[in-house]
Amino acid sequence: MRQIQLPTRQEWSAEIQDWLRGAAGGFLFGIPLLYTMEVWWIGSYVEPPLMLVVLAITSSIVFLLNRTDGFRQSSPDSSQQAAMDSLEAIAIGVLSVTAILFLLREIDATTPLSEALGKIVLEGMPFTIGVALARSILSGMRDQRGDAESDSSGKAEKIHHLANNHHNAALADLGATLVGAIFIAFSIAPTDEVPLLAAASSPSWLLSILIASLLISYCIVFVAGFTTQEHRLQQQGAFQHPLVETVMAYLVSLIAAALMLWIFHRLSLADPWTVWLERTLILGLPATIGGAAGRLAI
Amino acid sequence: MKSSKPGIYRSRRKSISTETIAFMFASIIVIGLISLICYIWATQGDQPPILMVSRTQPIRQEQGQYYVPFTLKNLGGRTAESVQVIGELKHNERTLELGEQQIDFLSSHEEEEGAFIFSQDPRRGELTIRVASYKLP
Repeated sequence: MRQIQLPTRQEWSAEIQDWLRGAAGGFLFGIPLLYTMEVWWIGSYVEPPLMLVVLAITSSIVFLLNRTDGFRQSSPDSSQQAAMDSLEAIAIGVLSVTAILFLLREIDATTPLSEALGKIVLEGMPFTIGVALARSILSGMRDQRGDAESDSSGKAEKIHHLANNHHNAALADLGATLVGAIFIAFSIAPTDEVPLLAAASSPSWLLSILIASLLISYCIVFVAGFTTQEHRLQQQGAFQHPLVETVMAYLVSLIAAALMLWIFHRLSLADPWTVWLERTLILGLPATIGGAAGRLAI
Repeated sequence: MKSSKPGIYRSRRKSISTETIAFMFASIIVIGLISLICYIWATQGDQPPILMVSRTQPIRQEQGQYYVPFTLKNLGGRTAESVQVIGELKHNERTLELGEQQIDFLSSHEEEEGAFIFSQDPRRGELTIRVASYKLP
C-alpha cells in the first residue's frame, strides 16, 4: 500500500514546471498562426483522414526533436522516453490551443465537433513543435546571457553595477519587453484578424483575455523554470517584484500593441475608445507573450 | 518507516510517479482526440451541403429601418463556402428592395445568424429570404 503513495509537492511542482515550460515554447512558436484566419477556415472543412495525417506528421517531428533535445531534458533521450515526451507535447499543444481558441471565440459551445477538431489539429501542429523546441529556444537566450556575463572582469563589474541599479534594471526589462512585443505582434497588427476577433468578443471575454495575458506572461518569466528565473526572483526594487514587473510589462505591451495598430491604420483617432480598448487587448495577448520572451533574452 | 528510508522512496517516486501520471493524463487527451476524429470520420455523411434559411426572430424597427433577422444552417455533411443569401421584398410582383449577404464558411450542422435591413415595412409586402448559391471548398 505504501508503494503507491502520491508524489510529493516538490515533484509535482517540477512536473508542472516542465509542462508550463513546454506551453511557453508553444505560445512563442504557435501564437502567430493562432491569429491567422485562413487556418480557422481551413480547419473548418479539413477532412478527418487529413487530421490524422497532420497528427502523425506532428508526432514524427516532435519525436525527432525530443530525441535530441525536447521540452523536458536537455540531453538526448532514449526512444521510449522521447515517445512519451512526444505524447505529452501533443497533449500540452492540444490543451493550450483549445484554451486560446475558446478565448478568441473561434470555438464555442455551438461550434460543430468536426470544425472544432479541425481547428485544434491544424493550430496544434506549430504549437506542439514549439513545445518540443521550448528548451532550445529559450535556453539559447540563457547561454547568450551567460556568455555575456563571463566575458571579462571589467565587463562583469559593469553588469554587476547595472544589476544593482534598480532603475537601469527596470528600464532594461521594459525595453526588452517592448522589443519582444514588437517582434511577435508586428506581423499580426496589420492583418484583418484583430478587428475580426474584436468584433466577436464581449466585455467578459476581453476580461478573460486580459487575465490570460497576465497569467501566460507571469508563467513564462517566473514559473516555467527558464534561464534567468532565479536571478529575477532575487531582484529587489519597486519594479522588480514579479507581480509588479508582470503588470508593468503588460502595460508596455498594450501601449506597443496600440501604437502598432495605429501605425497600420487599424485604429484611428476618430475611433471610439471602446474600439481602441478591444483591439489593443486582442493584440495585447501576442504582444505580451513576445514581451515575456524579450525579458528572458536580456 | 517512511523516515527511515527517505532516499529510496524519493528516488522511486521520482522515476515512476509524476512522469507516469503526466504520461497517463497526456495519453487520455491524445487518445480522446484521435477517438473523436475517428468518430466524426465514421459518422459524417458524404452528403453535399443542404442549406436551410429560417426566420426565428420577429422583425424589429429601429430609427425608421426594418431589421429582419435570419438563421442559416447547413444540414448536409460537407462544408459550404461563400454561401450567398438573398433577401427580397416585393409588392404586387414588383421588387421594392433587394439585399444580399455572403457567409464565408458553413460547416456541417453549423449555424450562422444575420439580418437584412429594409427601409420599407416588410410586413406590408411579400418577403423572401433564400439561399442563392454556394461553392465547395
